[in-house]
Amino acid sequence: MLAEPRLKELQNWVASYSKEELIWINGYLSGLLAETKTTTAAKNTVAKKVTIAYGTETGNAQKLATTLAAQIKKTGLPAKLVSLEQYRLADFEKEEFFFAIISTHGEGEPPIAAKKFYEHIHQNGFKVPQIKYGVLALGDSSYPLFCKTGEEVDNQLQHLGGTRVVPLQKCDVDYESPAAEWFNAVLQQLQQKEAVATAPTVAPAIAKKPATKKIYTGTILTNINLTAQGSTKKTYHIEIAAEAVDYQPGDSIAIIPENDAAIVEEILFRTQTDGAQTVQWKNESAPLYSLLREKIGISYLTEKAVQQYATITQQTIAPQRADLLHLLRQYPLPAGTPLLDVLAQLNPIAPRIYNIATTPTAHADEVHIIALQDVFEVDGQQQTGLCTCYFESLQEGDAIRFFVQPNKRFRLPAADKDIIMIGPGTGIAPFRSFVAERDATGATGRNWLFFAETDFTTDFYYQTEWQAWFNTDVLTKISLAFDNHHTGITTIQDKIKEQAHTLFEWLQSGAFLYLCGQKDPMSKEVEAALLEVIAQAGNMSASDAQQYFEQLKNEGRYMKDVY
Amino acid sequence: MQLDNKPSPIEKIKTASDGLRGTLAESLQDEITGAVREPDHALIKFHGMYEQDDRDLREERAAKKLDKLYSFMIRLRIPGGLITADQWLAAHHIAGEYSTGVIKITTRQTIQLHGILKGQIKPTLKSFDKAKLDSIAACGDVNRNVACASFAPQMAAHEQVQAFADTISRLLLPKTRAYYEVWLDEEKIEEYDETDPLYQDRYLPRKFKIGIAIPPNNDVDVLTNDLGLIAIIEAGELKGFNLAVGGGLSTTYGNAATYARLATVIGFVSGEENILKAVYEVLTVQRDFGNRSDRKLARLKYTLDNMGIAAFKAELEKRCGFALEPIQPYVFEERQDVWGWQPDYKGRWHYTLFVENGRVTDTEQLPLKTALLEIAKTGKTNFRFTSNQNIIICDVAEADKPAIEALLQQFNITAQQQNLSGLRKNSMACVALPTCPLALAEAQRYLPELISKAEALLAKHELLQEEIVLRMTGCPNGCGRPYAAEIGFTGTAAGEYNLYIGGDRQGQRLNSLYREKLQEPAILEALDFLLGQYSQQRQPAESFGDFAIRQQWVSA
Ligand code: SRM
Ligand SMILES: Cc1cc2nc3c(=O)[nH]c(=O)nc-3n(C[C@H](O)[C@H](O)[C@H](O)COP(=O)(O)OP(=O)(O)OC[C@H]3O[C@@H](n4cnc5c(N)ncnc54)[C@H](O)[C@@H]3O)c2cc1C
Ligand SMILES: Cc1cc2nc3c(=O)[nH]c(=O)nc-3n(C[C@H](O)[C@H](O)[C@H](O)COP(=O)(O)O)c2cc1C
Ligand code: SF4
Repeated sequence: MLAEPRLKELQNWVASYSKEELIWINGYLSGLLAETKTTTAAKNTVAKKVTIAYGTETGNAQKLATTLAAQIKKTGLPAKLVSLEQYRLADFEKEEFFFAIISTHGEGEPPIAAKKFYEHIHQNGFKVPQIKYGVLALGDSSYPLFCKTGEEVDNQLQHLGGTRVVPLQKCDVDYESPAAEWFNAVLQQLQQKEAVATAPTVAPAIAKKPATKKIYTGTILTNINLTAQGSTKKTYHIEIAAEAVDYQPGDSIAIIPENDAAIVEEILFRTQTDGAQTVQWKNESAPLYSLLREKIGISYLTEKAVQQYATITQQTIAPQRADLLHLLRQYPLPAGTPLLDVLAQLNPIAPRIYNIATTPTAHADEVHIIALQDVFEVDGQQQTGLCTCYFESLQEGDAIRFFVQPNKRFRLPAADKDIIMIGPGTGIAPFRSFVAERDATGATGRNWLFFAETDFTTDFYYQTEWQAWFNTDVLTKISLAFDNHHTGITTIQDKIKEQAHTLFEWLQSGAFLYLCGQKDPMSKEVEAALLEVIAQAGNMSASDAQQYFEQLKNEGRYMKDVY
Repeated sequence: MQLDNKPSPIEKIKTASDGLRGTLAESLQDEITGAVREPDHALIKFHGMYEQDDRDLREERAAKKLDKLYSFMIRLRIPGGLITADQWLAAHHIAGEYSTGVIKITTRQTIQLHGILKGQIKPTLKSFDKAKLDSIAACGDVNRNVACASFAPQMAAHEQVQAFADTISRLLLPKTRAYYEVWLDEEKIEEYDETDPLYQDRYLPRKFKIGIAIPPNNDVDVLTNDLGLIAIIEAGELKGFNLAVGGGLSTTYGNAATYARLATVIGFVSGEENILKAVYEVLTVQRDFGNRSDRKLARLKYTLDNMGIAAFKAELEKRCGFALEPIQPYVFEERQDVWGWQPDYKGRWHYTLFVENGRVTDTEQLPLKTALLEIAKTGKTNFRFTSNQNIIICDVAEADKPAIEALLQQFNITAQQQNLSGLRKNSMACVALPTCPLALAEAQRYLPELISKAEALLAKHELLQEEIVLRMTGCPNGCGRPYAAEIGFTGTAAGEYNLYIGGDRQGQRLNSLYREKLQEPAILEALDFLLGQYSQQRQPAESFGDFAIRQQWVSA
């Protein structure tokens, strides 16, 4: 459409902007191009300084923030779109209109990208009375602490003296329509001559009817350690029988782990508490023992919860996170303080997410996951993570509760498209699902897997299955890295670089690229390697390579699910 | 005899292999497996390697969706079993770095390392190459490691005989440079002519083994070889060799056409040129007349029996261009290694050390591997492996002997050696489980325990010092030469063995099947009875094997 020199000009111009800026410009341009009422609307509006800030982990908040910014643009206002990760905290006190779209992750925690901002606003010693704000909270009502972060941010901005001009909107997984309503409220506010504070007493709006997610109860069919003798790690492969689970390749399940019986027993014993008594905890009434096993989060309490414990027990405890049992051992409950007072302050057990390694097409009525035992040291003692410790206890025939965590941004492309799957470690899980699906449906696209682990002889997850797929040409290509691999290549980045030319060829011919596994440092190293590959094999400058990569993302041809 | 003359699949692999190169280069790059490609299985043998997997782990790994734990066993080519102290040091370190760490002395005087991963083959072979050691033709359808009498030379002629092992080994090496290109990454030499007049492109129909004995000691079990050379020495001078052809032990359960056979002495040859010519032409006769369709019937022993001895000899003489001389008289009086310190004719000392089943490793009771390392570090000795899986710390000067002796004492070797029963010292077991793919039962992991139990019986019957030759293998292939023992066990299934008795002590009469499929209690019961009878009724100096024949427990 554009003549070559002008296209080049545009490309250079595009390359000089950051990703965030481009997203903003994108919204700006679509606003300009939209309707003619743009200008009229602009005339009616008093110039205002508007910031749309988003905190995201998996991209939903970003997507919504971009849409909102574009809509504001249409009204002729210069809205600034910014990720909280890149937000200059010093700018905060100068904001006028500040709209935050933020999700909740972890155990009711802010997305990592929003952590600095979250901590900043929770510091004392400053006020922002000039700010007019609104918060859109993203969450998932299957989690016990639904939209916790959004709630906290909303509260805290008021606490800092800000004026809430749009009520807090909490969104469940179907966030589109409640978000649209909230956008309208924002636009209305901006079009008014004077901002009108919403009464703080007004109850925050909640997504109309949270479509409650189905909690499945499955039965353990198999629970084996995939690694062989001599391995430095333990990796659970868990097969769960569960009928008619509604999911697609690329989705995950969230598992609600149980606390270890021995720990619960020691807590009860130390505090001389009767586990058989029926008690009320949050909205539930049940025997204390089963609440402690199944509901109450007693491992790795937040700093805040630890301080609450310190207050209740009238002791001084340095800021830290710790297990409840650990606290009880080191700072015992004073006589007369009931355990229930402590428990009342605790959060529910947070579900843990695991990528599904099966597909309904090929593994009817079964869901498989792969989980790496999380081992760490606490005071010189080895300890395992809550959920992976729970996996250790699971036997054939045991029941397990889970719900599906869909991931719309991690989907197979059309059957004739090629895919490149990069999944070191447990990141291999969704790709077992992908390849099984493509095998079962006879998809014609080529399939290329990259995998890396520590030891070729002990840690090659699903080796015989990959071999079978490779030998039957379902898996077109497999590229491996292990500390002791016979090719001498030990890291996934090096393997990716070794394959630079072929990889680039695949991309050029339209392949879809997937990445799954550890976020840090793996996903960053892999992305750096991919950029190098593109630059080298595509004979491009670093910034052209970056742009090529962005293009892949925008086309939906680069998808990642990292944790 | 052979109705179906279709060449065995291995024949095709050999001729199509481009000088034993096959697809080895590609196999090494296959990322998804620790194994080599199917046809390369056969080819790596010619390079001294076997692909194996840990059979103990098969079931568990299958459940874990892991492929078999493939690794490679590398067997060196060490003619006559002689290496220097530096070479031992190299083997020690290479074993530690790339293999299970155990150095296994074989029944043919060489060593094997197990558990080498595909990616470690090259570094292993390159390290061995630096130490001037190789594994060329240690396995495969070629001449294998040449075995030779290992005892301390009592005259110059003995050393002359030992030197033949190396000469013959080199004479019969394949001409291809594949080993250097594939494993040592050496450049292809364009002007090098790989034409191989001996092996051509088809190699031999089957493995081929040569052993050299110096009577009256038959420590190499010379008659179990395809070609045995029996040195004839008169008045301290090497006259030449009697040629014995057609030895071989392997049988296959349920295949009546297979049998163990001792070699037949067919004549005498003298003069280095003629000796080498005769050896060479025995191989060409086997090359041209051997069975290439049924590998179970392809060894020289079957070729010989098919042709008939006279025809074989005539063909051989025709190819040699000279006639064999009449067989020279010789007598074998013993077959065992000569324990402890022995002087040689030059006044140097040789210490023969019993190594249980040839496994050199450190245990809590016996730090054997460390001891040998320290001894090698002195640089004052050579090392010679024996055909009984033992080791000789050899060529020690009189002046250095005390230092070596001190080390032997320090590491508890001397005391340990003195406390061994006669039966244990004369025992051998093959590798079998977990690495040998053909094993039906345990051998080297089980025999030490069985002998301990048998020792209780020996004590009861006052036979603890009796030097009875007992050998065990995990299958009927006979790698520990069980058929040439006074008491032989061959595994039939897990925990089950056939019992053979009646072999002579010198290795000139095979034993015969006495009982089938015995489990341990039945084995001990049988041994209790046999040894009890032997203890009470034997004649002075009568060996157990001879006694068994006299008792007609089995027929000779
Ligand atoms: C290491 C050794 C036994 C030991 O514990 O010392 C051995 C070990 C094996 N032998 Fe042997 N043989 C060994 C001496 C023998 C002997 C004894 C001898 O040569 O003095 C025999 C009987 C004599 C004979 O050849 O008739 C012997 C007859 C066999 C056979 C049967 C051959 C036949 O004619 O049918 C096989 C199987 C085959 O070749 O198909 C075999 C095959 C094997 C293999 C390579 C199994 C295989 O084919 O995959 C075993 C490797 C086990 C492992 O994990 O290490 N091995 N093998 C000996 C190595 C000798 C060397 O350094 O070259
Ligand atoms: C989208 C997504 C997909 C995922 N997919 C997979 C997958 O397919 N496979 C997989 O294995 N994992 C996956 N994970 C990770 C998984 O959800 C869990 O986080 C992981 O298994 C650890 O859970 P845990 O309960 O065993 O550990 P936790 O108990 O949650 O502990 C986690 C960490 O917290 C710290 N910690 C906990 N307790 C203490 C203490 N008392 N003192 C000090 N530090 C402590 C430690 O650093 C520990 O490593 C995924 C995560 C996400 C977000
Ligand atoms: C690991 C994980 C933990 C989560 N924890 C919570 C939670 O505690 N409370 C909640 O309301 N939502 C939780 N969610 C749901 C997300 O907030 C929800 O999917 C949201 O749409 C994500 O928005 P984002 O893509 O902008 O990060 C969690 C999601 C994941 C993947
Ligand atoms: S005798 Fe049988 S079991 Fe023993 S090493 Fe030889 S082939 Fe293996």
